Amino acid sequence: MDEPEDERKDKVSGRTGASRGRGAKKAVPDAAFDIWLRRGLHQMFDDVAREPIPPELLRLIEQDRRK
Amino acid sequence: MSTHTEIPDQTVVTSNGGPSFHDALVALLPKLRVQALSLTRNRADADDLVQAAVTNALAAQASFAPGTNFGAWMYRILRNRFISDRRRRRETIDMDDAPAEAFARPARQEDSLALRELRTEMEKLPADQRAALVMVTVQGMSYEEVAAAMGCAVGTAKCRVFRARCTLEARLMGEPEQGDNAKRRRGAGPVASASRSVSRDARRADQAPPTVRHGM
Repeated sequence: MDEPEDERKDKVSGRTGASRGRGAKKAVPDAAFDIWLRRGLHQMFDDVAREPIPPELLRLIEQDRRK
Repeated sequence: MSTHTEIPDQTVVTSNGGPSFHDALVALLPKLRVQALSLTRNRADADDLVQAAVTNALAAQASFAPGTNFGAWMYRILRNRFISDRRRRRETIDMDDAPAEAFARPARQEDSLALRELRTEMEKLPADQRAALVMVTVQGMSYEEVAAAMGCAVGTAKCRVFRARCTLEARLMGEPEQGDNAKRRRGAGPVASASRSVSRDARRADQAPPTVRHGM
């Protein structure tokens, strides 16, 4: 989680040093798409992670813990 | 990039001292729910999948080796359960032919057209590509962690994320995919326009005076 933002962009885009040299014209839309994609996916999935855990699931784990 | 729930995937469950098996399992639940949704594309099925995976994990807890990567162990159980459920379900219905349910989430007003397109295209990706992309982009996992969680080579994990990203870019930005001879207009549609606006923001930020970047 402590990686620089640029490294993370490359992770998602799968770019390597060689492919970075394709030219600035192509790199800008790629980077913009990566940022947009990351934001979009967070919008799609962050709500789920924030939702409270269903109590029956927690009960299941607690019952097993007490065994 | 950071997820709002900072739960370490590489929690070390030890027999003495560190978090117990049950504590680690409870702490991992929000991330398991995200991962389950990325596989099932449906909220109700995702909840069922997490419950089934937790039941399997509790039954198999003796087989977990303390000191190893608990997150990867749990993700593997979740994925294996998803695969076996899907196989069983395929006998009656082909999931990929099932109607798209936009991740079974009611459309919200703030959902832009571009985001709706992203949901639709995410649903069309193969489950493993979708799951790998979410692990890296949303959960902030490294390729090594993704490989451990999916039980595959690091190169395979990289390839899944790369392909998912390329497919989404091609479909959403109107670029022809590999092997797709159809000529499409680049830069058309709501995603291209949203992405261009991100690009403009980035250029403006480039021109702004440098600021100190904080790690996450």
